[in-house]
This record gives sequence, structure tokens and C-alpha cells, in this order.
Amino acid sequence: MKMRTPLAWFNLTYKRQRLLTALAGVSFAVVLMFIFKGFENALYDSQVQLLKALNGDIVMVNRIKTSMFIPEKFARRRLYQAEAFKGVEAAYPLYTTTADWKNPDTKKIRPLRVLAFNLNDPVLLIPEIFAQRSALEMPRTAIIDAKSRPEIGSLTAGTITEVAKQQVRLVGTFSLGTDFTSGNGNVVMSDQNFVRYFSNLGPDDDDRNLNTVDIGLLKVSPGADVPALVQALTQQLPIDILIYSKEDFVNKELDYWKKNTNIGFIFSLLTIMGFLVGVIIVYQILYTDVSEHWAEYATLKAMGYSNFFLLKVVIQQAVLMGLLGFIPGFLISFGLYQVTADATGLLMQMTPPRAFNTLVATLIMCLISGAIAVRKVQSTDPAEVFGT
Amino acid sequence: MRVPLAWLNLVHEKSRLVVALAGVAFAVLLVFMNLGFLGALAKSASMFYQYMDADVFLVSPQSLEISSTKAFPRDRLYQAAGIKGVQRVMPLYLGYLQWRNPQTRDSRAVFMFAFNPQDPVFSLPGLGTPATLAALDRPDTVLFDLLSRPEYGPKTIGTKTEVDRRTVTIGGQYELGGGFAADATVIGSDQNFLRLLKIPLNLVNMGLIKLEPGADAQKVAAELRQILPKDVVVRTKAEIIENDRSYWISSTSTGFIFGMGVAVSCVVGVVIVYQILYTDISDHMKQYATLKAMGYRSGYLFNVVVQEAMILSVLGYIPGFLSALGLYAFAANATNNALPIAMDLQRAVAVFILTVAMCVISALISVRKVVTAEPVELF
Repeated sequence: MKMRTPLAWFNLTYKRQRLLTALAGVSFAVVLMFIFKGFENALYDSQVQLLKALNGDIVMVNRIKTSMFIPEKFARRRLYQAEAFKGVEAAYPLYTTTADWKNPDTKKIRPLRVLAFNLNDPVLLIPEIFAQRSALEMPRTAIIDAKSRPEIGSLTAGTITEVAKQQVRLVGTFSLGTDFTSGNGNVVMSDQNFVRYFSNLGPDDDDRNLNTVDIGLLKVSPGADVPALVQALTQQLPIDILIYSKEDFVNKELDYWKKNTNIGFIFSLLTIMGFLVGVIIVYQILYTDVSEHWAEYATLKAMGYSNFFLLKVVIQQAVLMGLLGFIPGFLISFGLYQVTADATGLLMQMTPPRAFNTLVATLIMCLISGAIAVRKVQSTDPAEVFGT
Repeated sequence: MRVPLAWLNLVHEKSRLVVALAGVAFAVLLVFMNLGFLGALAKSASMFYQYMDADVFLVSPQSLEISSTKAFPRDRLYQAAGIKGVQRVMPLYLGYLQWRNPQTRDSRAVFMFAFNPQDPVFSLPGLGTPATLAALDRPDTVLFDLLSRPEYGPKTIGTKTEVDRRTVTIGGQYELGGGFAADATVIGSDQNFLRLLKIPLNLVNMGLIKLEPGADAQKVAAELRQILPKDVVVRTKAEIIENDRSYWISSTSTGFIFGMGVAVSCVVGVVIVYQILYTDISDHMKQYATLKAMGYRSGYLFNVVVQEAMILSVLGYIPGFLSALGLYAFAANATNNALPIAMDLQRAVAVFILTVAMCVISALISVRKVVTAEPVELF
């Protein structure tokens, strides 16, 4: 049967103000789902953004460093050994530690993560760091993450403050972002400065030197088979280290956070509830609409239109509402993501697959409501309606 | 008003009322869940202190919260011991160890509380018995927290494993939970702390001060602040709990996240209630106009709509509250009690007020239509 009159559309647009409220309802359900899913994703994404930014195809860590939380190091000579393998182009050591940073404004101490490497190694492909290479070669200098938490204090170039109770001069800022293990932010310095600051500390601190490395990065030659290389390195190097492709390393860290925190549980529960709220809102709207057009639907039935046709109308209405409500919901969520990112430094990313997933969830939500609301139409008995 | 018009309006269409209440209930539930998660995280952040048998705490001014303390000289505690009202001073040593799961051989960080075994630092059941005291006195022996995550391997007494390159034996058990700071905790003697972490015992991470019965914690704290040098901060139990709580809530952005969750849930609630009232008003427009024509004033109609909103809020709150109780139990269960999520009276009252406010706001938005109803127009 060809439908020339877009009945669903007319039903929806019949009362403008009601349509607006209806769309507002759908939009807010969409916002709820986006927000809670967004928080969940942000908490996970933030944990691995540093790892993703590292410039290497293969990652080497201490055998017991199963997550970034464990401050275990491995011998630098493992990197030199790896360099001898065919297909490995370069090996870069990355040194990390947690250090006390003195807020230059309030003089309060806050921990942050120090990342140090040989400035000639392209460990982090961040243009701001690259541009400040010569400045960072000076003793007791560092570059700080502009996305560090506000507790770190002012971050302008030239600021002089203290790291690990020793003077440090900031040469600029770069942009990365914080996570649970970084404390309040990130600071990058040369490996030479790292030794200056973190060797020969007090009794309750860890003495550092350049012989033990926190994270080793291997760059492979173009066209090299990374999984085969990972396997060869794992087999032939001593067993005091773990070797991963970068992708596996990132996934392993994500896994750690998924298993060890209730982030997933909390936000999945809230997202599901957002979904159910959406079902109720849409049902409410469709139900009112169906009750109001009760007589009209009965007439259609009396004219010989099948139940299936009425089902189609209601479902169409539901889908239209889902689509129309999704657009403002998406835009509001986008704005809220920005607000959250600015306020918390969390990595709130709206990626096309995530937006698409929420769109699908919205449509399913509307279909469920439509399916519940349509029962009333289907049981419509023309005689009954006209009888009263 | 002898005819309960608002009530009759609402119950006129039963199934619509049910859907409306479901909507309100869900908004209430969402608010409850957001606040519940926030409360649970705040509670787990400061839970250690609830079990510490002390009234006043000394920490370094550079300490942020319990898991990132800086050490201060033990002498400060001895100075504090001389003050009137102080019954006992107890140094507490804190640090992270790498605990190897003896089965999988994976190491994970465990948070260690260490103190003189004679000091009653924790008021936990199971501690202070002759057996645990004897275990604490043995070298390289610790008590293991039964609420630690399962990834740490067996928790049975006698389990031997490697911790920071020493062989350590589990000599006893207790139940505490790690909160934000750790996935597992152990309790050990100060001597074993020295063995494992090699940090001298004259540097204390936290000083616990137990007062004599009847002594005023505020007063003693004030006196301590005057006497002690600036290298320690004096906090009463309530103050240190508040300090840790606000640190975790702000540094993990949980306050912001769940605050936004509550705000968005409330807006959704307003939209739901508005929708219900609006449809109701449109349906009864004729009746409202008739009432007006009969001489009832706008104020009366206004009252009816607001009453409807109040009824919706009260009736919606009840199932929302009950299902929140259920979901709290479910969440606590699903997370193995790692999330101490529970209802408290304050939250129940606050959410109720919020629900009423939410419904009244919706009523105020939708009531305009009734107030401006023009009898002439309709007839």
C-alpha cells in the first residue's frame, strides 16, 4: 500500500508546542545517555592518552609493571639489545617519576608526573616540546602541561618554582591532559635534568639514574612485521621484561582500569537509566497522541486499513521523534562536553562511532515506546469507538 | 475547596497517571543514584579514619591525603604527649609495597599501615587479640585485609609471598577496605615497615593522638597548634575526614561529574512533569474555562495545577525512593561492597525537597496557559 499522506508527520506537527515539548523530552534523554557514557569514556580515554601519544611501535616494560601505577624499572641495556634485532630502527628510553611541584602562587606542594628523555629522541611528537628543545637542554628547565590541574599554579614561560625541592624554570607549555596516575599534571624535561633532580634524594625517596628505564620505546623500520618482532624479542631477550605492540600495551592499560575500577559499572547503570527515562518520555508522548486520535484511528480501521498500517504510523512517529530529538540532544551534549572538559581537564571526546551508537540507542528507545503505545491502537474496535 | 479537583484530574486517566509517576520516579531515581555514587566515593575516601581510635591527627603541611603523606619528625608527637588531656600518642607509618600474587606472580601495589603493635591504632574487630599481636611481632609478617581485591591472590593465614624483594607471611586478617587510595591494605609492625620500606622510624607519616575521656578535641587541637612548630598541621578527626574527602572529590572530578548528573536528571524531571501537566491542562481546557466563567479566579486554578504537581512529586518520590534502595543494594552487591553506597536520611530529605521543587517549577511553566484561559474564546 502506498502512503501518499505522511500521516505520522502530520500527527506530530499537528500541535507545534506539544511537538516542542516532546522533542525536548527526547533530547534530554539523549543528553542523559551522552553525558553518562561520555564520563565513562573520558575516564578511560584519559588513562591512555599519554600512552597513545608515545612515539613507538613496540613498548618494553619491567616484567611486573602490569599497569602504569607500578613504578618498576628495567635495565637500559635491554633496549640496546633490542636495537640489534633486524627491523628495530631505534630504541628510546623514557623515564618517569612522581615529583612534588611547588605551586609558585600559593607555595603549596602537589604531586605531578615527570616525563624525561633524551631530547634527540622523538619520544613525544608534540610540536611545543620539539620547538623548545634547545631551551630544555639548559640545566634545571622543564616544560609543563597546560592542561594540568589549576592546583599547580601559573604555568607561563619563565616562571621559576621548585620541583623535588629544587629550583626549576619553565620554558613553555604543551598540551596533554591529566589522568589518575599523573597526579595533577605532566612536566617534561631532558634526561640530564632528570638525573639532576632525582638522584641522591632523601631516605624516603627513590634514587634515580639513567641505567633503569620506566618505559622503553622501539621504532621499527617501515614494513616490519610488528607482531613477529614482538614475539622474537620476547623469546630471545631475558624474561625480566615484557614486550608489547603499542596497541596491546594501550589495551592492557585500559583493561586494568576496566577491571579495577567501578567506572564501567557506575556509568553503564546511569546510561541504562537514561535510556529507560527516554522510553517513558516517548511513550508518554505517543500515548497521549494515540488517545487523542483514538476516533481517527478507529475511522481508519473502519475504512479497512490494517493493524499493520496503524503500527507503521505509530512507529514512524516514534522514529521521527527519535531523529528530531537526537539533533538538539547531540548539540547540547556537545556543549556540555566542552564545559566538562574545560572545568575538569577530562578528555571528553565525541567521536562519530560514539555519536552513532547513541543515535542507535535513541532509535531503539523510540521503537520500544512505539511498540508499547501501539497496542492501544491495535486493539481499537471501530464499533466501540462509534458506539459511545 | 471541598472537591479535590487536582486529585480527581490526576486519577481521571489511570494509565496516564501511572506513566507520569514512572517518569517522576525515574528522575528521582537518577538523582538518587548520582548522589549515591558521589556519597559512596566520598565515604570510601575517608573511611580509614572512622576506624582509627584517635581524636586529633598530626600531619605534615605537605600531606594531601592519607596515601600521599609527607613524613614529619617523630619529636612532634612526643611534644604533643605533654599536653593536658592527651592520653596517648601513636606514630603511624604509611607506604606502598609491591605485593606479588603467589599464584599468578603478578605484582600489585598494596597500602601498608604500620605502627607499634602495642598501640591500639585501629578499632577493628579481630585486631588486638593475642594471636594477631604475636603475629605482628614476628619479622616479615603482616595482617592482610579481607576486603582487598581478589587479584592479590589467597588471603589465608600462612600464605607466603614476595613483597619488595622480601618473603612476607600473612599472619592474620582484618576487614577494612582500600577506598580510593589502594586496592588492598596490610597492617604491620613499625619494625617490619623499616625492614620492607627502609624508611627510618623517626620520620612519621601521621601522628594519632588519643584524648582522655571528656577532653575537648577542639580545645586540645587549638593548644597543639600554638605549641607545635609550623612543620606539622593539627587536625581533629572531623577536619581530617573533610580534608581527604574534598581532596578526592575535587582531584578526581567526581564532584563535578555527579553534580552534572544531578542537574541533568532534574532538568529531565522538569520536562517529564511539564509534559504531563501540559497534556492534562490541554485536555481540561474547557473545564478550566468553565470554572473561570463560573467565577473561580485564576488563583484557584493556579492552586489546582500546583497541587497536581505536588501530588505527582509525592507519589513519584515514593517508588523512586524504593527503587533507589533496591538499586543501592544491587550496586553494593555488584561491586562486592567496594562501593559503600547506602541511603541516609539527609539525602532522602534533600532529594524529596528537590523533587517537590522540580514539580513546582514545571507547574509554574505550564500554569500560564490556565491562568490566561479566556472563557469567551472557548465557548
